[in-house]
Amino acid sequence: MANPNKNLRNFCIIAHIDHGKSTIADRIMELTGQVSKRDMEDQLLDSMDIERERGITIKLAPVRMYYTALDGEEYELNLIDTPGHVDFTYEVSRSLAACEGALLVVDATQGVEAQTLANVYLALDNNLEIVPVINKIDLASARIEETKAEIEDVIGLDASGAPCVSAKEGTNIRDILEAVVKFIPPPAGDTDAPLKALIFDSYYDNYKGVILFVRIKDGSVKVGDTVRTFLSEKTYDVTEVGAFAPRLQPKDVLSAGEVGYIAASIKSIEDVAVGDTVTGALRPAAEPLPGYKAVRPVVFCGIYPLDGSKFLDLKEAILKLKLNDASLTFEPDNSVALGFGFRCGFLGLLHMEIVQERIEREFNLDIITTAPSVSYKVHKTNGEELFVDNPSHLPAVSEIEWMEEPIVKAEVYTPPDYLGPVMDLCRDKRGVFKDMTYLDTRRVRLEYRLPLNEIVYDFFDELKSRTKGYASFDYEIAGYEKSKLVKLDILLNGELCDALSIIVHEDRAYPRGRMLCENLKDAIPRQLFEVPVQAAIGGKIIARETVKAVRKDVLAKCYGGDITRKKKLLEKQKEGKKRMRKIGTVEVPSEVFMQILKTNKDK
Amino acid sequence: MSGIYLHIPFCKHKCTYCDFTSFPNRLNFAEAYMACLYKEVAERGKMYAGRTFDTVYIGGGTPSVVDPTYIAGLMKQIRQCFRLSADPEVTIEMNPGTVDARKIAIYRNAGINRFSVGLQTANDEQLRDLGRIHTKADFVSACKLLKGCNFSADVMLGLKGQTKEDVKATIDLVHENGATHVSMYALTPEDGTPIYTDYLNGELPDGDEVAALYDYGRALLRDYGYLRYEVSNFTRNGYGSRHNLNYWKRGEYIGLGVSASSFMDGKRFTNTFDLDEYMKCILSGYFPVVESEEVGEQDAKFEFVMLALRTVFGVSASAYKKAFGSDWKEDFREAYARTAQYFEELGDATRIKDEYLYVQNRILTEFMA
Repeated sequence: MANPNKNLRNFCIIAHIDHGKSTIADRIMELTGQVSKRDMEDQLLDSMDIERERGITIKLAPVRMYYTALDGEEYELNLIDTPGHVDFTYEVSRSLAACEGALLVVDATQGVEAQTLANVYLALDNNLEIVPVINKIDLASARIEETKAEIEDVIGLDASGAPCVSAKEGTNIRDILEAVVKFIPPPAGDTDAPLKALIFDSYYDNYKGVILFVRIKDGSVKVGDTVRTFLSEKTYDVTEVGAFAPRLQPKDVLSAGEVGYIAASIKSIEDVAVGDTVTGALRPAAEPLPGYKAVRPVVFCGIYPLDGSKFLDLKEAILKLKLNDASLTFEPDNSVALGFGFRCGFLGLLHMEIVQERIEREFNLDIITTAPSVSYKVHKTNGEELFVDNPSHLPAVSEIEWMEEPIVKAEVYTPPDYLGPVMDLCRDKRGVFKDMTYLDTRRVRLEYRLPLNEIVYDFFDELKSRTKGYASFDYEIAGYEKSKLVKLDILLNGELCDALSIIVHEDRAYPRGRMLCENLKDAIPRQLFEVPVQAAIGGKIIARETVKAVRKDVLAKCYGGDITRKKKLLEKQKEGKKRMRKIGTVEVPSEVFMQILKTNKDK
Repeated sequence: MSGIYLHIPFCKHKCTYCDFTSFPNRLNFAEAYMACLYKEVAERGKMYAGRTFDTVYIGGGTPSVVDPTYIAGLMKQIRQCFRLSADPEVTIEMNPGTVDARKIAIYRNAGINRFSVGLQTANDEQLRDLGRIHTKADFVSACKLLKGCNFSADVMLGLKGQTKEDVKATIDLVHENGATHVSMYALTPEDGTPIYTDYLNGELPDGDEVAALYDYGRALLRDYGYLRYEVSNFTRNGYGSRHNLNYWKRGEYIGLGVSASSFMDGKRFTNTFDLDEYMKCILSGYFPVVESEEVGEQDAKFEFVMLALRTVFGVSASAYKKAFGSDWKEDFREAYARTAQYFEELGDATRIKDEYLYVQNRILTEFMA
């Protein structure tokens, strides 16, 4: 029997950030008439405000399209957009598992970059057919032939027939679709076998409950079927199935090979883990599909409401975000300095920033976030082992036998001109050199082992500034290593401020302490009294700066016409104060807690 | 206590720091303007017929730049239209470069008994920098004419290149020439004035430097017997400005003339800043009020405290109780508790400690709702 899916293609697009992935997706949708140009907002798939503003994709967004190819046949194409940033590798691997092929978009002016490679390896692991696409050929600096050669040399893919396009100007977009039809295989799968559907994403809808994004591997599912999940072993009655067009579009049945959604009045997102398999309750499959490995947060920070009375609002905001973002973890936390809040875990720094921004924007809450930390493994003298991601929860020095810190394997791609600065930076950050390869005359690949706690503050910013933006960077967690770590405390006006404590390598403690004191001295506004800022390790002061008392803060003249003006001036001053948090007697701007560890001061 | 403020919006040359309503090129309008002002005086006089006013203050601009007979006429009009108390304080602002014996005689004859002389600095170079039309010598001559009078001198801090020696020379000059009162105030660079450019370019002394000059000047003034009674005002022999003290007691005042502000019957209102509009309104029989604000109770209480705390007399518990019927420390209990260490008691009054008077904004913001 002929494959019923011979005219079906499931594919995704992988690319380094900024190489034009979302724009290509938009052009493809335009060409297939999925959305008319007129109705189209730029970059339709990036539906969150933050995604559009920052030009990044965070959440997966699938879409179904119909395309009549040059062979005269009509094809159904399911495009699953993927995030490009390293923090969201997990999301990428999920969408890859739902596809048979991937378009690899490479910017003709930039060539292959760190994340390009990481994503390609992921795709190869998933046995995907990879179709290279060269983008941005309209730019004067485009180096089409060199880019093709780089794809062949560095990645080992045949790029000779790669479509060369300009997504911005809509040039040669049809070549992409022809390549999809020609090179990406149709999905296999047995429609008559028991249902096996892979959940690759989900979100919570206020009316329909949890919407599961699924790829049907075997069997079929329709409204009224009773289904169950393998992991949670719960059963549900299917209320709706459909495709992404790109909004949800109901249809009668989803069959093997297809990508679509299932709604089944599922109340809690916790019950349906992404990566789980949906099967029929009456005729279950014998075993689930291979899922994904669980993601573990690697970066942590405290999030507190600026106004302490807004704790419950913050809790609700985080719970709501969690519904759409399974990788976010949180637990209640309590700081002497900042009151009640949450300790949250993230996949990476960008993920952390995105969550913070979404809390502030989508829930209109002012928050204070503490400096990011990583999770340390502590071996206590009594034989206990524990993970500590909050410096203020670190056991007393006398109880610690030894500690381990997370290490990453980092790859940096840079033009050779910046090799020196990049290597200096890696050395500054306690990096251990592993390997160096010249990709061509213009680009070098460096491999380092770096402690994660050295890259969570400003590594990326520093790398960009030291290489004028030319270097790219990617990392993966490579386990734990024994390390000499100490807790560095900050005292403001003689009082310990727990929210500013950090864990640092012993060798870095003195310079870090000095830097922290200097940064705080600049960041804390002058008060009515002198404020000593001290850094201490285990009660021993290692650095000190002083915020001098303010000497003039008065309106020189206040006669008849000045009274209203003076009131307004004081109101403005008062407004500024609202962004401050009182630590003991000292007023500290709320952003200090987050930014204080940035080393690149504008000096 | 109530006061009358009269605004004369003319000058010979605009100073580089000035953002007051003053028109250097329109002296030819003085006669027409004064006619309008007389009319406004008459109308407001009718409105506040039953009340007694204790002080009159003629400010500007440079009131001494217009023909002194206009000022005499204005005072005559005031006495005709308003009821003044038995011994009113009547002040006029003067630029030392615009004074002569005849003017002073006419002023004194018109009942003016207090003079405020804009010296700013004894350093001629700095005077030129500020766009002042007078010299140190002009000030000395003016003082000779004012010998025996109750007069105040303005001293400015925070000028480009100003040193302690400059401040000393200025205060010495003021003292030697017999001023009974000194207003020593920090230059405030206002957006839109020429000096704002200097400020943006960091050419003016910063807050710490101004504070140092201020502390130095204050000590010197104390040595000479001038005691601080308000942030920027110092007096010898108890000659404080009654008119200005009324502002800080949150007393009522009616402001007449272009851009003048008033506070009457719990309402703050301001005349137009536009000279032509002002005259047009008056001639058409309207009050040229462009802004008006009814002050709510909470706001009023804050104003009372904010203004009183500018002075060394502080907030009088009994005066506050008389005004609002409540106890001020009760009304501002939390704010006071947070800031108590910056206050001291003086009889029934509470004032900001001497060393914190110059950083009072940080204390005052605690008292805002």
